[in-house]
Amino acid sequence: MPAFSGERLVRWLLLLSLCLPGGSPADLPMTTQDASQANGNFLTQMPTGLNESSPDPVKTTQIINRQTRESISDHSPDGHNVSTPGPDLTTEDFKQANEEKATNFTYMVYEILLSGVSGTSVEKNITLDSSAKVELSCSLAGKYPHLKILQVAWKKGNETIKHINKTENSWSIQLTITDENELGSYSCTLKGEEEEELKAVFHLQVPKIEDKEKPIISYEGDSVVMICKSSNYTPITWTWYLTNGSEQIAINDSLLSDKYVIDRVPANTTHLKILKLTKKDDGAYWCEAVFQLGKSKGKLKLKVLTFMVPLKPFLAILAEVIILVALVFLYEVYSKKKEKPAEDEKEFEQVEQLKSEESNGVESSSTRHRKV
Amino acid sequence: MAAPGPPDGGWGWVIVLGAFVQSALVFGVIRSLGVFVAAFGGAFGALAGGVSWVASLGIAVLQLGGPLGSALSTRFGARPVVMAGGFLSGLGLFLGAFATRLAHLYLSVGLLAGLGWALVFTPSLAAVGRYFTSRRALATGLAVSGASFSSFALGPLVQLLVEAYGWRGALLLLAAVSLNLVASGALLRPLVLPGESGTPRRPRCRPKLPRLLRHGPFVRYVLAFILVDAGYYVPYVHAVARARELGCDEYRAALVMSAAAAADGGGRVFAGWLAARPAASLLRHLFAWAFLTGLALLLFPLGTSYASLLALGLAYGFCAGAVVPLQFTAVADIVGAGRLLHAIGLMQMFESLGSLLGAPLAGWLRDVTGNYTASFIAAGTFLVAGSLLLLTLPGFFSASPGSGGKDESHDPAAPIPGAPEAALSPPVPGGPGVL
Repeated sequence: MPAFSGERLVRWLLLLSLCLPGGSPADLPMTTQDASQANGNFLTQMPTGLNESSPDPVKTTQIINRQTRESISDHSPDGHNVSTPGPDLTTEDFKQANEEKATNFTYMVYEILLSGVSGTSVEKNITLDSSAKVELSCSLAGKYPHLKILQVAWKKGNETIKHINKTENSWSIQLTITDENELGSYSCTLKGEEEEELKAVFHLQVPKIEDKEKPIISYEGDSVVMICKSSNYTPITWTWYLTNGSEQIAINDSLLSDKYVIDRVPANTTHLKILKLTKKDDGAYWCEAVFQLGKSKGKLKLKVLTFMVPLKPFLAILAEVIILVALVFLYEVYSKKKEKPAEDEKEFEQVEQLKSEESNGVESSSTRHRKV
Repeated sequence: MAAPGPPDGGWGWVIVLGAFVQSALVFGVIRSLGVFVAAFGGAFGALAGGVSWVASLGIAVLQLGGPLGSALSTRFGARPVVMAGGFLSGLGLFLGAFATRLAHLYLSVGLLAGLGWALVFTPSLAAVGRYFTSRRALATGLAVSGASFSSFALGPLVQLLVEAYGWRGALLLLAAVSLNLVASGALLRPLVLPGESGTPRRPRCRPKLPRLLRHGPFVRYVLAFILVDAGYYVPYVHAVARARELGCDEYRAALVMSAAAAADGGGRVFAGWLAARPAASLLRHLFAWAFLTGLALLLFPLGTSYASLLALGLAYGFCAGAVVPLQFTAVADIVGAGRLLHAIGLMQMFESLGSLLGAPLAGWLRDVTGNYTASFIAAGTFLVAGSLLLLTLPGFFSASPGSGGKDESHDPAAPIPGAPEAALSPPVPGGPGVL
């Protein structure tokens, strides 16, 4: 049979396949090369389209992604201009990590070493004035290797904290404290295989302001300065309160500037000066330090006295001095009077002696004996 | 019966009691002013430095007013002058209670009370000396131990007063307590010794002053005590800070000072007793105690443990206290009876140079070098130098104890034969040494 019948059959089959629905170019037999030569553009396009069609969707999405990423980066606050997808991802990750460090830059680790004695509870006070990242860890002291810990629980109040980092002999949790509510007592409880229980509690608190035990004494009409100090932590601001009955009222020094003067420099201390004191100013005062993580108050007591109070003991001592001086002088006068008659007596005796010596020597011996 | 000399006892012991109270109320009050520093600072907004000048001013006026006290008591007798001085010091403290500015305190507590103290201090010890001869050192030692006693009693008392009555009330009551000086002054009965006219002598002593300044041994004695005073007060002012520097807390540091103060009282009485014994040479004893005090100060920087610091504090306190009564009674040996009163007034005035320079110099050395080693070594050197200068005085190496009055101007009221010291003109001690 001759070639004519073969070529015709191929062409006929191609046309059939194209006309039939559902036919995909991929199903075409391997003689497409020949077909592409025969059929000009369409056919040639198809194989190229075929070859690139599967990567095509990916590419477009890549392009879309690149575009979207670029748009994201354009709108980002840093204004990064990124050209390739790879570096895009890494710089963005880096940026996010930087932002994390900028807000919580103090990172502190607190550890409690537990002894092996069951039933004990060790406590630690931690003072925080501003946001911090804290790691609290409970460790078992090395000398108790025999203790096998079965269960470790970290709790805040009644809430259990799930993510515990364990190393060889310690269990720790990481906390980010940014708010007043996140402060409080965090406890870790270790339960051993023989029913032993060890507990450690961390108390996270704002810095405390010390109360002044002894009252400050001042007098009516005088002025007084009350000082509050925050030893190691600088508060954001200070507020003073006075007590009226059971209420605490804030002192507004700009409103009552001829009565109260609040001096806030340096920031670690605050001075409240009260002028023209009266009995009504007597009582309790509070200085409040505001920190990022909460407030803390200290109590001071002011006592306003009248001058009559020390005047009474003053007059008593004055009276004592006057009495003593009078006594001393009276005693002196009295003892001089006692001496005087004795002196007179001596003089008298001496005069007598002279007289007797003048007369005759017979009596002189007797007078001599009489002399004292 | 032989003509009676100074009683050496009898009413003399009452005088000692009076002088004890006077020493206690003058120096006790001065020392207790430190308690007010915090209160004054809060009330007047002044720093501690400005407030401590109140006490420094009082001390300065006390010392510089020494000659005035001597002169007035020569003219009027000890009793009226001491009573007036007591009244003035009470008045000064009373006015201080009403101060509204720091300057008021300088004037009232510093100047006025200081003047009162000057009028009390010099005649007080003069009276003691007048009533005693052979036991004068012991009597003086007992009298000046009042200052040590009051540093224990008045310090806590003033603290209590400030807590109960505030600083104003505390000053008011301190004024009242100070007025007891008037009562104690009333005890100082004038003593008329034979050979003296009954009326107080006129101050013909004034022309004597220039000659006194040209008196070689006296000048050396004064110089010696200027040096002594330059070192003497350094522990009082800086020991607590030194203890803190070594890491001691407030209470332990204060304990060192209290121990030193107790030893100081003991030293005063002991040295007085020791020197009053018949064979004693005042100048040699004085040299020994001053030298030992200097030695204690030189060794002070070596005290790095609390125990060694305490031991050195006790040693310093004892020796420093011992110097006090001897300083005053030995002057008689140098210048003689007649000029004693004014000699001591002058000496006190010059000594103030040493004491006013000494403590600030120590502070400056500390600021420059960073610790107190240099300060204490300088203080100890001053004391040793002063004590060595005493060696140059006549009568130091001579065998007879207390060859007094051998220089010119014998008083017509001649010393009673047999009395070891020129007993009649009362040895009027005036010196910051008692502080």
